[in-house]
Amino acid sequence: MPAAELAVVADGLTRRFGLVSAVRDVTLSLPRSSVLLVIGPNGAGKTTFLRLLATALKPTAGRVAVFGADLVREPDAVRRVTAFVPTGPTTYDGLTARENIEFAAAMSGTLVEPQEWLERAGLAEVAHRPVRTFSQGMKRRLTMAQAWLRKPALLLLDEPFSGLDADGLRLVDALIADVKSRDGSVILCTHEWERGKRLSDLMITLAGGRLVESTSLVSTTHVEFVTARGHR
Amino acid sequence: MNGIIRAAALARKDLLLEWRGREILTAMATFALLVLLLLGFTIGATPSTSPTMLWIALGLATMLGMPRLIYSEVEQGAFETLLLYPGSREHLFWGKSAALASLLAVLWCVLLVIAGLFFNLDIWSRLPALIGAGVLGVVGLSATGTLYAALLLHVRGRELLLPVLLLPIMLPLVLAGVRVTEAALGGNNGGMWVAVIGLFDILFLLLAPLLFEAITEET
Repeated sequence: MPAAELAVVADGLTRRFGLVSAVRDVTLSLPRSSVLLVIGPNGAGKTTFLRLLATALKPTAGRVAVFGADLVREPDAVRRVTAFVPTGPTTYDGLTARENIEFAAAMSGTLVEPQEWLERAGLAEVAHRPVRTFSQGMKRRLTMAQAWLRKPALLLLDEPFSGLDADGLRLVDALIADVKSRDGSVILCTHEWERGKRLSDLMITLAGGRLVESTSLVSTTHVEFVTARGHR
Repeated sequence: MNGIIRAAALARKDLLLEWRGREILTAMATFALLVLLLLGFTIGATPSTSPTMLWIALGLATMLGMPRLIYSEVEQGAFETLLLYPGSREHLFWGKSAALASLLAVLWCVLLVIAGLFFNLDIWSRLPALIGAGVLGVVGLSATGTLYAALLLHVRGRELLLPVLLLPIMLPLVLAGVRVTEAALGGNNGGMWVAVIGLFDILFLLLAPLLFEAITEET
């Protein structure tokens, strides 16, 4: 597949913390307009893998390109196309929902109409309430909206379904569908495999930081593009 | 232009949170007041000692409040999100530094009024010079404070280590601040000491944003 059609190309991606290797020698290629589900037991390296792609961590070894931009040499170019939604909410409790949206828009250099994004997140009616009065699920929806307004080409979701009600889950579905429709890609880590599988095109399994299995979840040849050394 | 918007948004957010919570400024002002009172009672509340006490109170209060401004965001996990926004991380330095400078400027004004009453100082006739001395010092304190807080971002026990590292670097600034304030109260222009603070400020305002960017990239 031509490099231009790939969202992520990782070659030997490794991250060590002291003597512990959280991610070891992961090699994969992810096509555009696809959703990759990353599964594995606790401590498998799923979150570290996402944080590496988000540029929150630097690889100890290996190379990664995100939409053609090198993760180490061009981190800002990677950040321009990537949005990372971590497990916990990253909103500010002392600000209102609207102020949180305005802040995220200003920091990412995006001009938005806050009300539109609050409506998407189902938070329009509580736009002027401090976030400290929100439930965890509402905070999570606000975090999703903050990521969405950046219109990322690569969306990284860490446990996106946790703490969400039916409306929140629909928000995640809509967010993923929107990224795909714009020729972007999504990587999501979750323990809720069944729900994750329904949304994904590809699936990889990490264990002890290694990519141990890759599977296509759709009846295409996508699996050819996701490879691990020794596992094809 | 985008950088100014980002820095302003960050400073506005920090100040808005502080305005609603009033955690940092209240703690800094109370602590600075206690330092002033303690020094006043032990050394003597005379106009000649007031500049030293003012700057010691400001310097110590900075070390108390500044970590809270940055590390509370780290503890919430929001600081990593800040780092992952596209754009130069220098903008984050400017935003954080501006917020801290604003809080310190308010604190300086409060301390001046208290010192005026406590030390029987005529601050009102010297107000522009005293505010000028404070602004010069506050700029340097906030720049060094923000840089050193970032330097210890991933260090365990950073709140304890920060004052140990910050105090020596703040020493020339506090000393020059004392001299400039003495000159302002005496109706003089401060001469060489204004240049010392000015140089300190320029040096840190030029270097600190670059170092901040380099430090926060090293993860």
